[in-house]
Amino acid sequence: MPVAVCRDFSTANVLPPLVARRLDRPSRLLAVAAREALAAFGDQFPWERERVGITAGTWNAGTSALLEVLRTVFLASPDEAPPAQFPSTVANAPASQLGILEKLGGPNITFAEKQVGGLRAIAEAGRMLLARRADAVLACGADEADWLNAEGYLRLGALRTDGHPGMVLCEGAAALVLARDPGSQPLAALAGWASAATPAPPYKYPDGPSSVVQACTTAIARAGITPRDIDLVVSMANGIPALDELELTALAQVLGPYRPAAVGASERFGEGAAAGTLRALIAALAAGGATTPAWDPPPHLAGAGFPTATGRARTVLVAALAGGGSALALVFTAV
Amino acid sequence: MPPLYSRRMREAWITGIGLVTALGPDRETTWRRLVAGESGIGPLTLFDPSEFRTSIAAQVDVSGLAIPLLQGLPIRHTSRASRFALAAAAEAMRDAGFQTVEAHPWALVLGGGTAGLFEAEAFVARRLRGGPLVRGLGELVEVPQDAPTDRIAQAFNVTGPRITVTTACSSSTIAVGLAAELVCDGEAPVALAGGTDALCRLTYAGFNSLHAVDTEPAKPYDRRRKGLSLGEGAAVLVVEDASHARARGARPYARVLGYGVTNDAFHMTQPEPSGAAWERTVRAALVDAGVSETDVDYINGHGTATEQNDPAECAAYRRVFGGRLADLPVSSVKGAVGHCLCAAGAIEAAATALAIARAIVPPTSGFAEADPACPVDAVPDKGRSGDIRVALSSSFAFGGNSAVLVLGRAT
Repeated sequence: MPVAVCRDFSTANVLPPLVARRLDRPSRLLAVAAREALAAFGDQFPWERERVGITAGTWNAGTSALLEVLRTVFLASPDEAPPAQFPSTVANAPASQLGILEKLGGPNITFAEKQVGGLRAIAEAGRMLLARRADAVLACGADEADWLNAEGYLRLGALRTDGHPGMVLCEGAAALVLARDPGSQPLAALAGWASAATPAPPYKYPDGPSSVVQACTTAIARAGITPRDIDLVVSMANGIPALDELELTALAQVLGPYRPAAVGASERFGEGAAAGTLRALIAALAAGGATTPAWDPPPHLAGAGFPTATGRARTVLVAALAGGGSALALVFTAV
Repeated sequence: MPPLYSRRMREAWITGIGLVTALGPDRETTWRRLVAGESGIGPLTLFDPSEFRTSIAAQVDVSGLAIPLLQGLPIRHTSRASRFALAAAAEAMRDAGFQTVEAHPWALVLGGGTAGLFEAEAFVARRLRGGPLVRGLGELVEVPQDAPTDRIAQAFNVTGPRITVTTACSSSTIAVGLAAELVCDGEAPVALAGGTDALCRLTYAGFNSLHAVDTEPAKPYDRRRKGLSLGEGAAVLVVEDASHARARGARPYARVLGYGVTNDAFHMTQPEPSGAAWERTVRAALVDAGVSETDVDYINGHGTATEQNDPAECAAYRRVFGGRLADLPVSSVKGAVGHCLCAAGAIEAAATALAIARAIVPPTSGFAEADPACPVDAVPDKGRSGDIRVALSSSFAFGGNSAVLVLGRAT
């Protein structure tokens, strides 16, 4: 199955074995990613833990636990359904387990929005901070690899196979810490976000780019900048030709003839909610000057004149579009 | 361009309500039977429960559902959960006076639950038994938890922000609160908010495995309680900017004053027993709403009827309301409509809004014998008259995610 699996993943040196053993795989993935994000603060956690929230986006967390319970129900007896597995069937298990592990008592909300979930977690973390529901939020994405999801999208013709273009599903997790008062050295600022939708069936992209255009345009305006201020676009391309076309049309409408640098990322780690958070992470790292993502733009953007990033990008646009037509855009800027 | 997140510049009114529950396929049937103290919990017929420890549930009779047609979509590809959501959304839209079919730049926020899992279970069973891969496409279309949200957007051409919250049993409580926040932030003049969930073998087996389900209909807050009764259904609320509603002459049921959401960081399935964590949620909600505990006249409680949950919930209320709790009606609709999981919060928010608008406190069906561990006025038997200025709708979920909505009279 075309899934980008985290083959070398291990919780060793991060979680005690007894703790790791009781967590499902997406919870383990997220716990490790979150530890890495929180490590920047060292032992002196700068916020009260009751004021630290978690937002998470996921496409499929809980699937493997769900299948384990159903395997017992269908092949053995409903009476033998494993009670320890059942709580892991809920998609909010990774974020909830993270809350328990790190003793974070702020709002803890998981968003299910297919490809958009990872960016949604970041946007809603921003809203949570503005509303003062928390002082800091771990904004995360987590997805797992499982045959049920892969078979479903394979049947829809959405996955990459020999001779057939398509997406590769992402397994993994990513976490960013957003804070109202981030201290003296924040990496970057989440300057604006917006979302819009063009209705379509859950398994299809919409026919036109209007939701992507509206999300990007509004996010840019809310960031207080103009389209020509965008230095870098982190592409949403995932290998599905229809999305390439939508993205190209949308960017032409948002940017006009202007061609900032662009970078393709999904080729590296696949598509999904976690992949969305990873793309946002690239955007934040680039805006913060921590890296210049010099990966080539995807072919449809390169062919349209979007160059490879070569220098510092101070303002970065990252967007996502989900099957069903929901779109979301974020703008990260240098601080 | 609207100002960036200009909080609290607007009021969020509830101007339309749609309900699908085991008590009835619409709002008025559900409300009438709820207030009469009836229960929709009965024999489960959706699938064969003979191998399960229990055999009852609050199952929806789908024969009475009014489902809007989706353009170009065979209805057989629409899951049970989506059908509930579509019926509830259609009723809420009609109730609010929205008849048009043009694109609505509204927000849409739903609590996402099992979505198309009931249908997908047939596919999973076949595959686990070695059946072919090629069958079952239609059964998998709505596996993603946001599929019912997509269906509502598709049916009603909703083009604004579309969000699916999945925090288990508090999902749609948060969805209503977040929808109101979007309206108050100026992101959309109107938001459709709610939740939907359908019974399926996974949740039925799972809650049975936890021994959290009573073999008899649930008895929230009652000394004899032995667990919850699973249910299914949907609720959709039209949450509208008050000025937008006033301009078109819409009448409100209630106003969403605010909400609180926290995590107890305690255990995946058990609530923190002292009530201190849940107390934080209630207090956060009151602060967000700008009201004090003395303003609260009614609590629509979580009231699952499990051994551990009800006392922890009541302990939280005791910590917040002190001695006043004895005189504060606290009722749970779960004895009537079952525990509808990700739809529960929206159903309860709808019941709370109706209670405010109609000055009737709904009863706790199944409650008869008080429990010292749950020292609340649980409103036995039938609904009672009661002037409600401010009410809470309270939810708790797997993973320690609790959420409390604060609703008040819209004036």
